Amino acid sequence: MEMIRKKRSDNSLIATYLAIGATVVGVMMIFGILMLLAQGGVLELQPAAFYQFLTIHGTGMIGAAALAGAAVMWYFLRNYVDLSKKIFGLNLLFSLIGIVMVIIGVFSFEYASSWTFLYPLPALSANAWGTIGALLYLVGMLVLGVGFLLMYIDVGRAIIKKYGSLGKGLGWDVISGKKAEADAPPATVVASTMVTIVNVTALTAGATVLIMNIINVINPSFTFDPLLAKNLTYAFGHIFANSIIYMGVIAVYEILPRYTNRPWKANRIFLIAWTMSTSFTLVIYTHHMLMDSVMPKWMLIMGQILSYANGLPVLVITAYGALMIVYKSGIKWDMASGLIFISMFGWTVGVVPAIVDATIVVNHVMHNTKWVPGHFHMYMGLGAVVMIFGFMYFLSKEDSSLKTNLFDRIALICYTLSIIGVSGGFLVSGALSTPRRWATHFPDWMGPAVFGAVSGVLAAISVTIFVIHFIRYMMVRNKGNEGKVFHERKLA
Amino acid sequence: MIQTVAWITSLFFMLMVAAVFGVVALKSKERKDYEPIKKKWYKARTFYGISLVVLMLVLTIYTLRELPYNQPVYGQGKDPTIVDVEALQFGWNISQTSFKVGEPIEFDVTSADVNHGFGIYDEDMNLIAQTQAMPEYVNKVYITFDEPGTYEVLCLEYCGLAHHLMIATLEVTE
Ligand code: HEM
Ligand SMILES: [Cu+2]
Ligand SMILES: [Cu+2]
Repeated sequence: MEMIRKKRSDNSLIATYLAIGATVVGVMMIFGILMLLAQGGVLELQPAAFYQFLTIHGTGMIGAAALAGAAVMWYFLRNYVDLSKKIFGLNLLFSLIGIVMVIIGVFSFEYASSWTFLYPLPALSANAWGTIGALLYLVGMLVLGVGFLLMYIDVGRAIIKKYGSLGKGLGWDVISGKKAEADAPPATVVASTMVTIVNVTALTAGATVLIMNIINVINPSFTFDPLLAKNLTYAFGHIFANSIIYMGVIAVYEILPRYTNRPWKANRIFLIAWTMSTSFTLVIYTHHMLMDSVMPKWMLIMGQILSYANGLPVLVITAYGALMIVYKSGIKWDMASGLIFISMFGWTVGVVPAIVDATIVVNHVMHNTKWVPGHFHMYMGLGAVVMIFGFMYFLSKEDSSLKTNLFDRIALICYTLSIIGVSGGFLVSGALSTPRRWATHFPDWMGPAVFGAVSGVLAAISVTIFVIHFIRYMMVRNKGNEGKVFHERKLA
Repeated sequence: MIQTVAWITSLFFMLMVAAVFGVVALKSKERKDYEPIKKKWYKARTFYGISLVVLMLVLTIYTLRELPYNQPVYGQGKDPTIVDVEALQFGWNISQTSFKVGEPIEFDVTSADVNHGFGIYDEDMNLIAQTQAMPEYVNKVYITFDEPGTYEVLCLEYCGLAHHLMIATLEVTE
């Protein structure tokens, strides 16, 4: 009883994470729509405003999705290991401080380096922004990063305490045969271990390059190697953005078995797949540098090969597993299970254009075209974020008596179609060679942008409906349900 | 054209993925025991996994045969024209902008300030080659124009507020 009550009270922190995350995603969509309207020639937008929107949209989306993804991980992981709620709360606090600094830097001080802040752009803006804007943004990102770093260190600590080491959290002793498959760590622990490893690395690289940029902004006579900075930036950006889906997928592992009454156990192949994902995720950021011919050639060739290989764990293990568990299961479809299923679809289709673009000869003519946002809007917008929305419906059902209604179901369909529209528009633009991050487009390139903008409006409306449902849940649980304990219900 | 091949390939596989998810969703309401399903589909997975690896291997080998980084083998006495390109906020310094059809060219690309991207577009505005323009480093692009016309150089790495205005032209004549 005591345990359940404690969990219920922790749920309010988790719900706060999710509410902030999902709301920010919805608001950022508005900036996305405005950018597409400007590119489509419908809206007159100053370049300065466009690039500020680009910066806030990229930073905000990644930050918000990471925050919500962390909440998904935390919700399930606390059932297996002993996590510190204090640190989880601290991460939220750091993130909020960071977000406020970023917003002030971008909108009050016109800082617009895009979320990749590629050295030495923060210091060399051709007088578009000044030192204060750059510092607010860079230090804000650093604060955000430190919050996340603390949280992952706590997660790592908890996993090591329970399982002995991070290697054991990934089930290496099961892979090597020392331990029976039946004693393998649960999928949630495996995924959390993976994310801890890759994100501690990513955040360390990110903090390093942020500090390099900060020093350079304060004193431009301190310079750094731009190629090293680029490597660190993409190591951070690629890994951190990708980790979101690896946190989100925990919801898939936990929710689908409950809905289908079928187990999803970590077996040896599953563990091998996750070890592969861990190591590939750490090194394939080099696919962002395929057009830097000064990089060692073997690194770029490995960049292609490992990017291909990185598709295997998803395509062969995770997506396949999700399909198998649903196939002829008599699953009860509702908002949570529906969104979770769609999220696996989104992740899987998003892998296709990503792999195509990781091919060096293709990258030669598609790198930094809108093909790139095309693939990641698919797996972020239809994959990672949908896992989060799915989890939000799961939580509201598990933790309150709030019912979903027709609007929610319409929103689900609308959202799916509209993100396919947004991503499809980007992909078509990419196939037409439209460069990414261009404030204006030539007339030939405008059509898909306008199409994407219209789709985007539907997506934003759908997210509003998801968020309203979730806020209603938070109000219901705050109101009269105190003391009334909801037991872990079997949903199937 | 590579973009068309990439688009069709992607579309094909994306539709396949959609079809598979669609079929599974349609068959989800039926309820069967999990054990036999697992047995059957684990077997299928082995086959599927191996096919996928083989497909990827073939594609890897096929697509890695010729890389844009490699200096092409030039005919005897036919050294490439070396063109120095320097990107800066916000424009291009290109040492030579008129070329002949069939003339092998090597663009040595660098930057005076921040990162830029050097992208060459043909008359139909298709991107045909690119590399990064980076301070302190020189990246190379090898190209031989097959068609006469006016080609454009667009900036392909975000470099500041006039990023989308960094356009230069190259003239190629018979
Ligand atoms: C209504 C839905 C959305 C619309 C209309 C939209 C629109 C856009 C546009 C127009 C861009 C700039 C494209 C360019 O380079 O020219 C962009 C970039 C981006 N979007 Fe979205 N987006 C949406 C949803 C999302 C979601 C859900 C995420 C992730 C959770 C996301 C993450 C990003 C990121 C990381 C960038 C890159 C920013 C950069 O290039 O610096 N977007 N989006
Ligand atoms: Cu990447
Ligand atoms: Cu530029």
